[in-house]
Amino acid sequence: MITAELQKGWARSLLEAGKAPSAPWLEALRRKAGDLIDTLPPLNRKQEAWRYTNMEPLLERELQPVVTPPPAYAGEVPEGIAPHRLVFVDGWFVPGLSDTARLPETVTCGGLSDAVADDDERVKNRLGSVADPGAHLFTALNTALVNDGLYLHVPAGVKLEAPIEIFWLNSEGRNRLVQPRNLVILEPGAEATLVEHHLPGAGAHYFHNALYELILDPEARLAHFRVQDESPTAWHLSRLAIEQSGDSRYHGITLAFGARVGRTEYDGRFVAEGARCDLRGLYVVGDGQLQDFHLDVRHAVPGCASREQFKGLLHGKGRAVFDGRILVAKDAQKSDAELTNDNLLLTRDAEVDTKPQLEIYADDVKASHGTTVGQLEPEQIFYLRARGIDRHRAVRLLCEGFAAEIIEHVAVEPLREQALARLRRVLAEIEE
Amino acid sequence: MLSIKNLHVKVDGKEILRGLNLEIGKGEVHAIMGPNGSGKSTLSYVLAGRDGYEVTEGEVIFEGRNLLEMAPEERAWAGIFLAMQYPVELPGVNNMTFLREALNAVRRGRGQDELDAVAFMKLVREKAELVKLPDKLLKRSVNAGFSGGEKKRNEILQMALLEPKLGILDETDSGLDIDALRVVAEGVNSLRGPERAFLVITHYQRLLDYIEPDHVHVLAHGRIIRSGDKALALELEEKGYGWVLEEAAA
Repeated sequence: MITAELQKGWARSLLEAGKAPSAPWLEALRRKAGDLIDTLPPLNRKQEAWRYTNMEPLLERELQPVVTPPPAYAGEVPEGIAPHRLVFVDGWFVPGLSDTARLPETVTCGGLSDAVADDDERVKNRLGSVADPGAHLFTALNTALVNDGLYLHVPAGVKLEAPIEIFWLNSEGRNRLVQPRNLVILEPGAEATLVEHHLPGAGAHYFHNALYELILDPEARLAHFRVQDESPTAWHLSRLAIEQSGDSRYHGITLAFGARVGRTEYDGRFVAEGARCDLRGLYVVGDGQLQDFHLDVRHAVPGCASREQFKGLLHGKGRAVFDGRILVAKDAQKSDAELTNDNLLLTRDAEVDTKPQLEIYADDVKASHGTTVGQLEPEQIFYLRARGIDRHRAVRLLCEGFAAEIIEHVAVEPLREQALARLRRVLAEIEE
Repeated sequence: MLSIKNLHVKVDGKEILRGLNLEIGKGEVHAIMGPNGSGKSTLSYVLAGRDGYEVTEGEVIFEGRNLLEMAPEERAWAGIFLAMQYPVELPGVNNMTFLREALNAVRRGRGQDELDAVAFMKLVREKAELVKLPDKLLKRSVNAGFSGGEKKRNEILQMALLEPKLGILDETDSGLDIDALRVVAEGVNSLRGPERAFLVITHYQRLLDYIEPDHVHVLAHGRIIRSGDKALALELEEKGYGWVLEEAAA
């Protein structure tokens, strides 16, 4: 079990190793987060949020923070599907592998550390304004060592039609601590689509600890499609802190295939009326893997809507955790929330812990939740076989159908095709 | 084509079929009628190869092969098609994808080449026209949210695509209004031919007004207790099942 001692010792040595010069204002932000580390409770079973997700094997490792841009990347860079692309290696922006030339000049898109070096006022004002560094050990660690990551700023009224595609890759070597800090600011009425691929690149053993701050000003729209396909020996954590102003729309989908332990946290907050967020996720988990989704969506003001739809496909000895919390505050009348989590277990050894939580303090709201954990229906398999489709293919078709209900919401067609192909690769290999 | 001899079947340890005999020849249409619980659906599922049906005695020979030893998909390849009483919903599985998978699986099983996407589209449109299944239902999930009539039309569409030698219709008329019944029956009739036989299982005579059988059998207590021509169906409609059951008991 992770003790306070172990956690403190582990984090402190990382803070020491991760020291790097930076602007004074950023230094202050880092130091504050670093100071929090001693006060944070250990990530063990006693904390509900970590009850089923054992981080101990990670904390037993000596990780190495990446404090300077890595040398030339020797691995392959996948072909993209969008005209705008950003490549990050070990969490650092690599301009030479990226192409943002076709973006409007008023849009800023690139590495966070460049924006800090440019003394960007918006970064100064808004970095750290949405994500709570004290949420847990890893948010504190990310903030205490903040260096580079994605920075996107879209000015008021600018609508980007084509997606911006982001590749997160890793260089060779073991036990790197990769900590992108991602800041996205969409000004009033701005629109953008982000497509993210989390890939091993040339790496295998690393911990990707990302912290996002996504700020949607009034009437802004962000479509955000993420494919987590990390190395099966890597650890991955993404926390997405989202702040939505009035009438903004956030549409997020995470498709999680990779990593030994993967965790995605959606931390959503509505700050003005009329906003809506749609969160969806699919996790496909097999032997030696754990996939964990944590949602915390807070309806703090009236008249906002949220949809949360998550599905899990588990095979082998795969494990998953789903914890979906929706809070409707006392004054948040006319809130509308709907959460579902459906799990399909293909084997007896697969295991899922699912916990939807609706906390409702207002009286005039529409809210519902439902979770299921089940197996394939024998009637469905028989129906397909009676039509000439053999058992193995029948199972694959049904699993594809189950997952398609999430994948079909990916509005970028080539990505949808990629995701389906990825799913088929898993399904072709699984044994019931 | 199909020869069932002394078939005994147990479901959950309870004997449902008790010595059923039936011979179906090429091109023939046989109707099996009978009261609820007589074993009609059990017969259709045993022929299609569903799990949970234990054959304790007897044999089923289809085109010279022992049907009972074959997996459900092998039976489909060999030419058995069961149009189900309650077609199963497959959420998320696109109907067009399903139809193409099924057709190509059956074609592979029969040693034929698969159809490419263009040829398949042409064929499926043509067959869908036959059962008046709207295009939009081809794009939806299989049977999900379909009305009773749409589900049954989707069954007949599958039958038209898979071109079985023996089509088994299990209570295809249940839950259909008269217009839907007519469309389904017309679809079936268009598939009739000298090489294709049908086994029409129904509780009511109504369907047989549209699909005229060559032979009518009454199934009761797991056995065929009376056989005749289509006049028998009319007699049953008029007098009910009571008199046949009494005569059989006597």
